[in-house]
Amino acid sequence: MALPLPPGLTPPETAFLCEMEMVTVIPRQRLEGLELLGGPIPPLNPPYRTPLPLWLALLLKRQRRANVLPPPWLSPPSLHSILDFEKSTPSFSPPLPLPPHTTTSPPFLPSATANAPPDALPYHWLELGEMLLEAASDDIPEPDNVRRLMRDLREVRMAKMRAGVGVLEGGREVNMNGVGGMEVAEGRAFIGGVVDGLRKIGASKEMSRREREAEERENGIGGGEDDEDDMEI
Amino acid sequence: MDIDDILAEVDSHAVPPATRDLQELTRAWVTERSAPEILPWPDMLMERILERLRRQIELVEEQTGNTDPKANFRLIIIQTELERFKFLVRSFLRARIAKIDAHALHHLTDPSTKARLSPSELQYATAHTSLLHAHYHSSFLSQFPTSLQRMDDTAGGISMVEGPDVDKAVFVRALKDVEEPVYVEGTDTAFDMRRGDVVVVRWSAVREVVMAGDAELI
Repeated sequence: MALPLPPGLTPPETAFLCEMEMVTVIPRQRLEGLELLGGPIPPLNPPYRTPLPLWLALLLKRQRRANVLPPPWLSPPSLHSILDFEKSTPSFSPPLPLPPHTTTSPPFLPSATANAPPDALPYHWLELGEMLLEAASDDIPEPDNVRRLMRDLREVRMAKMRAGVGVLEGGREVNMNGVGGMEVAEGRAFIGGVVDGLRKIGASKEMSRREREAEERENGIGGGEDDEDDMEI
Repeated sequence: MDIDDILAEVDSHAVPPATRDLQELTRAWVTERSAPEILPWPDMLMERILERLRRQIELVEEQTGNTDPKANFRLIIIQTELERFKFLVRSFLRARIAKIDAHALHHLTDPSTKARLSPSELQYATAHTSLLHAHYHSSFLSQFPTSLQRMDDTAGGISMVEGPDVDKAVFVRALKDVEEPVYVEGTDTAFDMRRGDVVVVRWSAVREVVMAGDAELI
């Protein structure tokens, strides 16, 4: 019964997570409000826009009971400008900033609804874009263009992930601001493996350092050439 | 702004308790799937969720006889969501079982880890370990000299009981601005975490921050 998967979400699990994102739909049929386990679903009254979780929106879309209103960033002009930006810097384009004063995080932020900002990619951009293109391509303006730009974006960003391997280190933190959910799922095994491997190579050095620090803590000795010594003891 | 506007705004920001539970369960699942060691059992949360699941299953059973096409479609939605929820709970529990299986003896001997298990997980770990002991004993341990038969020997200063590798690299996202810089033990590294920052770092360095709810694994 134990889960036979490696640690960390796999790509299908990431897609499952992404299906909890909210999207905006335009219903074509009435549907009464529902009390679901994850909270109430508002009643659907055509033609009023309603925010729904992606899994439900896809279900309604497949049965032609609703149309999906794609998020503004999933359009050729937005993707074009993000792609231009991605090409001009070695880091990822700045992600959608998380709203302050709460601890809510993706997939529970309204980053894929019709009033999401058009100029930044949300955390689940790749999965969400792919799923919408697959199930609701007739609701997206210029789907072929969008598909092509998504592919370009993905390639540019994958190249950055690969180039970023050079800065990986065993002991230090590595900043990955702006990385997407699916990109984490794909890169986790490799990046994690490199960081763990480098850590093991440096383990004996670290061990002797820890011992020295512990010794200094015991003896209460401050000062010395090491700048870690001004730490509180 | 009149009072209705204010109330409407408060309403739109208030998250219903069911949605909050879904968010918490989702975060617990992702964290449990990603962290190298087992995390504290979310007692109250699981109780609420299992109760809700039970009620929803009852509702489905009651309504299955209904032949009205409209009610039928509502039932499809309810069942789809139910299956998604059950998947979350199952995957969460199975991820925990996988960790218990991998280091059963460690989970029973280390007091702080033992306190993180739920009663049924504790029972499972105990049964698992005693079965394993009995099996090893009957198949080969009994042939060894008595001094070599123990499974939890600490002779020579090295314990036989293996725990998870708490220094494994994890992907972590800050949910709040973390006030104190995060310090990586044994190295020169200390770094700040601002809300939204994503870093790859060893689990032991961010364990406290994640358990305090100031950051989450992704």
